[in-house]
Amino acid sequence: MLVRDEGNFSKSINLIIIAVTIIVLLLLPRYISGYYIRLFTAIFMYASIAQAFNLMSGYMGYIPFGHVMFFGIGAYVTAIFMGRGLNFIVAILLAALVAVITSVILGFPVLRLRGHYFAIATIGMNGALMSVVQNFTDITGGAMGTTLPIIAKPPALVYNYFYLAMFSLMVFTTLLVYFIIHSKFGYAIRSIKANEDAANSMGINTTSTKVITWAIAALFTSLAGSLYGYWMSFIAPEEVFNVMISVNTIVMMLIGGAGTILGPILGSFIIEVVSEFAWSGFMEYHLAALGIATIIIVFFVPRGLVGTIADLRNRKMVKIKQ
Amino acid sequence: MGLQMFVNALLLGGLYALMGIGFSLQWGISGIINLSYGAMVVLGSYLSLIIFNLLRIDPFISMFFSGAILFFLGAFVYRFSLQPLLKGGIVFTLIITFAIRLVLENIILLVWSADYRTIRLTYAGSNFRFFEAFIPLTKFITFIIALILVYLTYLFMMNTKVGKGIQAVALDKEGAEAVGVDVQKMYLINFALGTALAGITGSLWASIYSFSPHVMNVIIGKVFIIAILGGLGNIWGAAAGGLLLGIAETSGATFLGSQWQEALGLVIMVTVLLFRPHGLIGKKFFG
Repeated sequence: MLVRDEGNFSKSINLIIIAVTIIVLLLLPRYISGYYIRLFTAIFMYASIAQAFNLMSGYMGYIPFGHVMFFGIGAYVTAIFMGRGLNFIVAILLAALVAVITSVILGFPVLRLRGHYFAIATIGMNGALMSVVQNFTDITGGAMGTTLPIIAKPPALVYNYFYLAMFSLMVFTTLLVYFIIHSKFGYAIRSIKANEDAANSMGINTTSTKVITWAIAALFTSLAGSLYGYWMSFIAPEEVFNVMISVNTIVMMLIGGAGTILGPILGSFIIEVVSEFAWSGFMEYHLAALGIATIIIVFFVPRGLVGTIADLRNRKMVKIKQ
Repeated sequence: MGLQMFVNALLLGGLYALMGIGFSLQWGISGIINLSYGAMVVLGSYLSLIIFNLLRIDPFISMFFSGAILFFLGAFVYRFSLQPLLKGGIVFTLIITFAIRLVLENIILLVWSADYRTIRLTYAGSNFRFFEAFIPLTKFITFIIALILVYLTYLFMMNTKVGKGIQAVALDKEGAEAVGVDVQKMYLINFALGTALAGITGSLWASIYSFSPHVMNVIIGKVFIIAILGGLGNIWGAAAGGLLLGIAETSGATFLGSQWQEALGLVIMVTVLLFRPHGLIGKKFFG
């Protein structure tokens, strides 16, 4: 899975490694403390969003800097519907529906823009949406934030529940991205990154491809947002519409390897662990540490870990062949 | 009432015009969306604060100091973190400038904390009458300085050798290179000029408003809107964009309520992006 042109043997080894990892991660909450369960839940959440980003920018080449708006939509719509007494499952599905509809409505005009302009337009939309949430105090609770119902069960059990939910979301997202990328639709997505005009003239409907891809990315992100809201049981607009979340996930995607399946997961693991360490180790310099680490990462592993490993392997293979 | 609102809009717009030009030049000519621009503006404010506390010198004089320091900071940042990564495309420049913003924000927080600071000038409260409208003196001085600086930037771009070089690079990179213009040097000077303007804006901002690290978020949102309204890399466009934003915000605050001010600006920006991606003001700038 790391390198596409591999024999069946290494493919099955990869599958075994992945299966073992999944089983270990499923059993893990029994053996670790609440602190680590929380950390892992956050890693899974970021990995899901980073995977959505990966689909948009790693594979399609569009950088939705304001993509965090769907995270906010997920969290807020869930909060609003649960406040009206709906069950969580219904609320999360409604939130996903709202996010997908929003992404399609915004997608048609905004995805005509390219490069910088697209990135900036999404930032603008995110900001405008945040203002709306802050100002419709009657519905959203305004700038002070709003609460979601707390699950009336022992905290340890609740943490386990969210651990498993976020983990399933990550696995589901990754599998879906994997299958999308290896389908015919996936080739259309990648052709847009390679050369959009050429793709268009080859008969690929680039507009609908882009909008559908954005809607899928919005779906994952909103699911992560819904789970986050229910998990935290308190959300505020400045928090769930924070562009910092987008930036974080972009960095995760970059360090892991943009345009690779496992890259975003690896990246979110590394960044979350590092920033957790930075928080606890030297809190005052935490922002600067994150900034400098980002600069170093971009300088030295621009293709990301998975990409760099693949490069090294390829080089080795070439050497052997020679 | 109407005149007062117009005067307020104009005074605000003057500062916005100056604020937007540096960002617009960096984006339009050097091709870098500088997400650390807000942090650089706020840094300019704090530099003026230091000088004011130590020497009691007005921000209107210490702005030269802020500008100079920020010029060198910009040159340094460009040379050592942006120039090597230009080929990597926009993800890298966005991420790098955001990382620089984090570092600057951290430095500001460590040195000055997150509290709001103000520079209290002795004549801060004085104002004069213009027909029925009251004009605060500090805002008026700021407006005049901003206009002069916008004009000076324009003169620099049009009449000096370096300015013409920058224009040539913006017009046609390969062509400029072929006739012997040092392209990277022009990008560097242009970027540093943009950060210098950010620093000066910060000093002027400090003479009117209070400031804190949080202000950098407000500023980055505004410069995006200004640059896009005016068209990238276009000095007069950015100036007009600044004035327009000033008018939009002031009238928005009057008619819709001030809580919608930010959303209004963003909605205008997205609308302009969708329908006139080259800005409201006339044609696309060079290239």
